[in-house]
Amino acid sequence: MKTTYRLIGLMAIAGLTLAACAAPVAPPAQPAQPAQPAQPAATEAPAAPAEISLRWRTRPDNKEEADVYASISDEVAQKLGIKLTYEPGGSETASYQDVLRTELAAGTAPDVFWIPGTDIADFVQRGLLLDLRPYASATEGYSDSNYYPEPMFHLTYNPATGKTGEVLWGLPRDVSTFVLYLNLDLINEAGAPDPRELAKEGKWDWAAFKEVAEKVNALGGDIKGYGMNAWWGPFGAFMNAAGGGFFNAERTACSLNSKESLEGLAFARSLYDAGVAVPYGEDSEPPFRAGKVGMFQNGRWATPGISTVTFNWDVVELPKGPSGHMGNWLFWGAYVVNKNTKHPEAAWKVVNALTQPDIQAKVAARGTNIPSRVGEAVFAEFLKILPEKNNQAFLNGLADKPTAEGPLWTGSWPDFDKAMGAKVSDVLTGKLSVEDFGKTICDEAGKAFNK
Amino acid sequence: MVWHAGLCVLLMAGALVSVAGASALDLLTIALAVAQALLALGSGAAAALILQRNHLGRTLSLVINYVLFLACLIGLAHVLGLFMGLDDLADYMARGVPFLMGALFIVGYFVAATELRERPVSAARRTLGRVLMAIGAIGFALTAGVVPALASIPGKYASSGLLPPALTAGAVVLGYMLWSMWRGESARAMGAKNIHSERLNGWLFLSPNLLGFTLFFAGPLLFSLYVSFTNWDSFNKRDWVGLDNYRRVFNLTVQPLETPDQPANQAIDVQVYDELFRVNLLGQGYLIGAEDKRFWISLRNTLVFGLLAVPLSVVPALLLATLLNSRLPGMRIYRTLYFIPSVAAVVGVALIWQWMYNSQVGWINYFITSAVNFINSVFGTNIKDPQIRWLADSDYALLSVVIMSAWQWLGFNTVLFLAGLQTIPRELYEAATVDGANPRQQFFNVTLPMLTPTTLYVLITTTIQALQVFDQVFIVSNGTGGPGTSTLTMTLNLYQNGFQSFRQGYASALAWVLFVVIFAFTLFQFRRQRRASGAYDM
Repeated sequence: MKTTYRLIGLMAIAGLTLAACAAPVAPPAQPAQPAQPAQPAATEAPAAPAEISLRWRTRPDNKEEADVYASISDEVAQKLGIKLTYEPGGSETASYQDVLRTELAAGTAPDVFWIPGTDIADFVQRGLLLDLRPYASATEGYSDSNYYPEPMFHLTYNPATGKTGEVLWGLPRDVSTFVLYLNLDLINEAGAPDPRELAKEGKWDWAAFKEVAEKVNALGGDIKGYGMNAWWGPFGAFMNAAGGGFFNAERTACSLNSKESLEGLAFARSLYDAGVAVPYGEDSEPPFRAGKVGMFQNGRWATPGISTVTFNWDVVELPKGPSGHMGNWLFWGAYVVNKNTKHPEAAWKVVNALTQPDIQAKVAARGTNIPSRVGEAVFAEFLKILPEKNNQAFLNGLADKPTAEGPLWTGSWPDFDKAMGAKVSDVLTGKLSVEDFGKTICDEAGKAFNK
Repeated sequence: MVWHAGLCVLLMAGALVSVAGASALDLLTIALAVAQALLALGSGAAAALILQRNHLGRTLSLVINYVLFLACLIGLAHVLGLFMGLDDLADYMARGVPFLMGALFIVGYFVAATELRERPVSAARRTLGRVLMAIGAIGFALTAGVVPALASIPGKYASSGLLPPALTAGAVVLGYMLWSMWRGESARAMGAKNIHSERLNGWLFLSPNLLGFTLFFAGPLLFSLYVSFTNWDSFNKRDWVGLDNYRRVFNLTVQPLETPDQPANQAIDVQVYDELFRVNLLGQGYLIGAEDKRFWISLRNTLVFGLLAVPLSVVPALLLATLLNSRLPGMRIYRTLYFIPSVAAVVGVALIWQWMYNSQVGWINYFITSAVNFINSVFGTNIKDPQIRWLADSDYALLSVVIMSAWQWLGFNTVLFLAGLQTIPRELYEAATVDGANPRQQFFNVTLPMLTPTTLYVLITTTIQALQVFDQVFIVSNGTGGPGTSTLTMTLNLYQNGFQSFRQGYASALAWVLFVVIFAFTLFQFRRQRRASGAYDM
């Protein structure tokens, strides 16, 4: 018996070891698909065109969205006649971008992947992305103008010549923008004016916003009038709304110390000083979902989660600042192609297919994203999407001169963000005055340029 | 002899081709060429010694053939995608687990039935067991994707060019040469004695660990040292920058201030330095600037973390272990309960604590508020609810992580102390009791001295753990080290440099600085402990 066990054990080990040499089989749901040779890296070539096998990755916000992407993957694969494997990326412990960068360094990154807009310049300048312009030019019906112009500016920017339109680094997956998620029950209970009505009347500005926040906050206990999360987007919107911003117009220098930027930051600080905001640095979504925050500033990606709350909720566009604009962001990310892919044309076709209106509509139907294509028909379709809350508020945000989430072509965004984020955190938690922030911030954050 | 002479020529040619064929000579190419040259020289020496019938020639031959044999096997596995395949297979393994567990259960049952009842298992049952095992194994192979994966190997082998056959041939030839030299006849012919064979056997048993250590520990370690002298960004060419990364890490400037609030840009070159802090010495203010401010902040945070977290997870663990060492009913349950945090995933623990720390909806502030309200209502006091912003206030954020980490490490340290306590002979306590020592005196004069080795081990491992803290701060600060830079630790800082800012060279330099810091602390603890305890031989 012992010999038998040893034999079985040895066979099992040998079998598993040998099996590890090959690729995994298809999932049970697709028994018809045969096992394919391993395609670990984007650098391996298939034996014949019929065996084109590509991997692609994007970051879903939840399991349901990952399932949508997986089904879209099958649809695109069938349409293009290739094998296409979808890999959801990002988890609590593995940052999407960090893992992707590591895989790019190791040569095991997927052929097609999504990256946020802030990373485009870094990836391009390190030679990690394929220029898709030759393939796009040969594609019938393709036009840069099908998409929002702000992301396309960066996606067609050639750092070698400083001109746009010459190259194409990818196509935007979707766009998003900030709104204020409203707890209507709290606002009514506080007797505060309805922000949606104020917005319709053109009276939705910083003063009105602060008034609503203060009235809700006056309900007492652990109720807060307003909440935002601790990253560059929320406080940046205040700076933008005041007419300032992170960079100068050419995005070649720091402008965090401009009068307007400081005004925006001072307004944000005043919300914390007055105690009407959820403490900066704490996730504002849990207390909002627990019904303890009147207004929560976040993007479209928060909609599916918030749609499950039990109180009456809606959204309103951001209030207008001293500049007369909301100062909103146009958040975006793009599908790009690994420069080392062995199937560049097929990879382009995948990117193009993933950004077609029908595919974008399926993703947008989850409620997380706004299609990156422009046009009345697209907008009309978006307005029908569940959860049938005030979707127009998102489109209003996108229409009011938003600032595109953008890469730094002449500097390092991660370095800029680190220097800025730490200092702004000190300001909004009361450790540093706005004045002192203004005196030193561009000395520190400015070092990120020309790195 | 002929084999090694030929191998010598082949390896030397390989070394020359490596150097001549390289477009740019970097350290890796040189290292590879040096390794080949060393093997060539070893092979030449082996040939010469074998000719003289010297047993050292046999030893050299065995070592070289063994290393090259393994290199061929690993190379073949790599070419066939074994390592990536293992990763893929792991993804599909879960599907086969029910079959595997079923088979194991059945095997376990039959083995247990045989051993426990001490009587032979009937032939029918044995046959049934085998059939069930076979079904389980086949089910596992099918569901985990083993069978189709095996079937695809020949295709992979055929489509990978000449390399797989070449590596297979190399492995076969080297394996044969290895075997022929290993045989007793060869040993006797070379004049090898029993002691030589025994030594070789010992090294052979050690070789998996030695090779693993060299390939997966020492190799990457040396590589990171090399990278720390370059500006490597993970993707492009590595330029040798010498000590520049280290210079940047430690580059500080100290400038006297004309007035205490003189702006930094008037005192230091802000194109290079950032203000680190100001200090007043004998009435003269100074501004200390650093080229990499975040390094110094992370160093300070790491040391503060260590200074707080180590005592908090060691001293209570000792006290707890003393309590758990008593023979009261239910102690085993308590021992298990206290150990649970140690086996829980850091990520899960950090996320739960993040919720508990939430200043608005978290349990900790809820209890504080309840306690304050209770005291105020009972005693008529007017104590203000502190409403601590645990993770949002830079004054509390690091302390919050310290509490969380100490809580998690406490259980493991307790178990170590408990093991140490149980090795102390009861006679010592009995003698102390006879001598009139009270429990406190017994603890300080018997328990603590006898626990010295355990204490040293616990202190060192906990200190190392504390100085390398990463997961907890990564989770609670979303990888930023915030609020501000209050939870930026050294490992988080090097991670940000290496994996977010593409500065692998600089991150490697930071890693070596961290190594030196940890080494210095460990050495200090060793020496201090040795001085304190003459009984314990280091």
